[in-house]
Amino acid sequence: MFEYLPPLNAHNLPYPDTLHPIVVHFVIAMALFAFVCDTIGYFTKNPLFFEVSWWNMAFATVSIFIAVIFGQVEAGLALPYQSSVESTLHLHTILGWSLSGVVAAITGWRYVLRMKDPKTIPMAYLGAGALLSGLVVFQTYLGDKLVWLYGLHTVEVVKAIRDGVL
Amino acid sequence: MSPDLMEQLANQLGPNGLPYGLPIHPNLVHLTLGLFIVAISFDIVGALFPLEKRVFKFLAIPANSSNFFDVGWFNMVAAAVVTFPTVAAGFYEMLLAQPPSDEVSDWGLQGLETMLWHGVGGVLLLALIVGMAIWRGFQRYRWRKDRARQVQWSYLITGLGVFALMFAHGTLGAHLGGEFGVHVSADRLLRVGEDLSILNVLLPKMF
Repeated sequence: MFEYLPPLNAHNLPYPDTLHPIVVHFVIAMALFAFVCDTIGYFTKNPLFFEVSWWNMAFATVSIFIAVIFGQVEAGLALPYQSSVESTLHLHTILGWSLSGVVAAITGWRYVLRMKDPKTIPMAYLGAGALLSGLVVFQTYLGDKLVWLYGLHTVEVVKAIRDGVL
Repeated sequence: MSPDLMEQLANQLGPNGLPYGLPIHPNLVHLTLGLFIVAISFDIVGALFPLEKRVFKFLAIPANSSNFFDVGWFNMVAAAVVTFPTVAAGFYEMLLAQPPSDEVSDWGLQGLETMLWHGVGGVLLLALIVGMAIWRGFQRYRWRKDRARQVQWSYLITGLGVFALMFAHGTLGAHLGGEFGVHVSADRLLRVGEDLSILNVLLPKMF
């Protein structure tokens, strides 16, 4: 199968730079901003904010599946060079797949709530948004560790592994 | 910053060259880019709504163009607000950056050149994003208050131009981390020939 792919570059990727960290902009920012808007809407009773948060969640839902696909490709090419890297990568992978379900479920719930009454949200939904925000922040922290601590897909680390230093 | 000056802080900085474990700027960047790109995208969806009406009907999602313009406006305001800390954190971390002096990036730029362009681009983008938010506000509350299409085509086209600038700018930032290893703990340890087992104790091991 590999003969059909472009050769891997200095980042151990078949394309110039990592794409997963770009796609996740649209999950992290949208999920967190949706929660901010829900909170503002809940306390100011201004239903405009509920529309904004619903559409942000809808956008996050589409994006998270694209993020998981690229995440899976880049995790597969990531060369985790020691056991701590591997365990962080596993946790990030499992939580990433789980989040795709969680985000889709919360957006589905929100769709039903919006069909019934677009002008209010129950306290429980706000709680779900808070929980989701916590998970998103933790997932971002794990991804940060993979890049900024362990340097996966950085030129220096890929080179060290190819040279047998790592 | 020169290595001599960095010595002044040597006992306060970790292997990544920062006084904390993970850089802050790349995380705020998620918010700036996500919010700005979605703001412009929803304004485009709102402006082209007559063409999409049937799609939303087919998907059984109640929608009208004013909802999309609400997203376009509030997301743009949030992007403008959050970009100030994004740029501030970027400059703080750039002041502590020490890219290697003997390498060039994929775009043929050296470390300092990449940093300078990324710094100038960051200030330019901050100005553009704030300017776009103000422009958007005038369209929403003054010039086009009662129009079916709340945004001018020129605003949307300018937004697409900012996307292009963001792509170039983001790639320079990616080069700083992914190629020059700026603030990447593993890369900086490898460059000085140190063992990477210290990575296991820098942050909580379980996570």
